Amino acid sequence: MSGHSTWPEWVYIGVVIALLVWVGAESWNIERLIDHAPADAQVIKVTGQQWFWTFEHSDGTKEIGELHLQKGTPYKFEITSKDVLHSFNIPDYVVLQDAVPGRINTVWFVPKDTGEFPLQCREYCGLIHYNMRGTLYVEDTA
Amino acid sequence: MKKVLGLSCIVTILFVLPTIQYVLAAGDEPGEYLDRRVEIWNLFFRLMTVAFVIGAVVSGTLIWLVWRFRESNPKAKPTKYEATGEW
Repeated sequence: MSGHSTWPEWVYIGVVIALLVWVGAESWNIERLIDHAPADAQVIKVTGQQWFWTFEHSDGTKEIGELHLQKGTPYKFEITSKDVLHSFNIPDYVVLQDAVPGRINTVWFVPKDTGEFPLQCREYCGLIHYNMRGTLYVEDTA
Repeated sequence: MKKVLGLSCIVTILFVLPTIQYVLAAGDEPGEYLDRRVEIWNLFFRLMTVAFVIGAVVSGTLIWLVWRFRESNPKAKPTKYEATGEW
């Protein structure tokens, strides 16, 4: 064999494996928690196209370039694209999900603060990508 | 080999099993109201804490290693190859 004690190396390998397992499990757990929308979440269909966002509420109301939501209500976005890859992003609420043609991706959140928040495309999608922006209006429940 | 198996058992009992249990016990469908900002940033801070601790330990070990085994260290002993001039 090697002619020297190898136990520190095995301890090192064990600690590294344990830390990697912990990091993986912790990340997987948080991702799972934030993936599961509450049962009463309202569905909003989000469609990205060059170069604006369209929102369709569950009652059929449509909005373009702006989105009005109620504070304290959970919303589940069903996100797709009509042309190329986009990515729907509300930076203040850490909402980020790709918009892919022919596919529906989901993400959910609860707006906690009233006010105006920017929303934008976070995947380069062509000439006017920089201006594919909108505004999220969070209003107090009536 | 026995030592490896023993260490694997200890690691499994102390770390792997509690982690799996912790993960499987958390959260049920449908999801609960939670603030994804808080969850995501907390995860980030926890992982950064681990990353910086590991970084400190690894770089500290390397610095000690270089300092301890430098040629000019009074405690340095030549290897048997160096001592006999066999290279």
